[in-house]
Amino acid sequence: MNEQRDFLSSRELHDNPFRVSEGYFDSLEDRMLARIAAQDQALAEERPKRPAWRILKPALTLAAMFALIFGMGYGVLSLTHTLDRGTGTTSVEDYASAEEQMIRPLSIINYYQTAEPADETGEIDEETLVSYLTSELTYADLAAIYAQSY
Amino acid sequence: MATDREILELYREGGREEAFRLLVRSYQERLYWHIRRMVLDADDADDCLQNTFLKAWRSLENFRGDAQLYTWLYRIATNETLSFLSRQQTRGEYAGLEAADRLPSDPWFDGDQVQTALHQAIAKLPPKQKAVFLLRYFEEMPYEKIAQVLETSEGALKASYHHAYEKVKAWMKESLEAKY
Repeated sequence: MNEQRDFLSSRELHDNPFRVSEGYFDSLEDRMLARIAAQDQALAEERPKRPAWRILKPALTLAAMFALIFGMGYGVLSLTHTLDRGTGTTSVEDYASAEEQMIRPLSIINYYQTAEPADETGEIDEETLVSYLTSELTYADLAAIYAQSY
Repeated sequence: MATDREILELYREGGREEAFRLLVRSYQERLYWHIRRMVLDADDADDCLQNTFLKAWRSLENFRGDAQLYTWLYRIATNETLSFLSRQQTRGEYAGLEAADRLPSDPWFDGDQVQTALHQAIAKLPPKQKAVFLLRYFEEMPYEKIAQVLETSEGALKASYHHAYEKVKAWMKESLEAKY
């Protein structure tokens, strides 16, 4: 045989030597759709049925969480508002007074007594006074003092 | 044959089943013969083709249209067939060699000695190289399209096809010369 012969170059080799059974292609689309339907049916049967409460469980859990948070918030607010035990209610003025009590700044005398002793004269030096004014009093306090002075 | 556009429009308008029928009718033969040349056995080719269309049915919803339906379907079919061949592979031999040996007695194969030698030679190729050879030699698919089907560069495909061509030619020569 010619060793140079290239068998693959023959166009006849591109002819199709394979066969299929009669009607194979005509029926394929019906067979495919039947197989898809059977697969979908099998998937639907495999999925277990869930009771109603399981379906509602996420919504119920969410509702319970909101109820708990609301209840806790209401409880905390109720406790903080019952300072006036006689009436069971607390006015805004009472609350403000209580707040003032808790965060009332030191008076200048208390401040001077807790600070380093300035000198033996017992007088309050200017530096201590300025330190007191800037550290212990708020702007509101300073404004009130200024208003009272004039 | 329906166009890609007609099939996709019909699908999006809610005619899923009718669109799928059009898809099957339009592409079944081309896909079948491509698969059949890879696996050789008629029943195996039928299985792979049906699995291809099943995957197409499940994935058509997500088809973005960035490739033609043609290359998309060929990609599914080739991947499905390569997976099949991979599952069939035993003892270090490429799958399909047994089916190639049975070709002369296969009732669904009408090829002569030269065609038998050709398909037996092709069966010896590594699976992916076999796919490259079949798409280029029989389908005469442009390298650009083969690159989309196999998701490989054109350069690599050209090299792969050249090597496959030389191997098949040599094996055919060896087989036919042994018969004379």
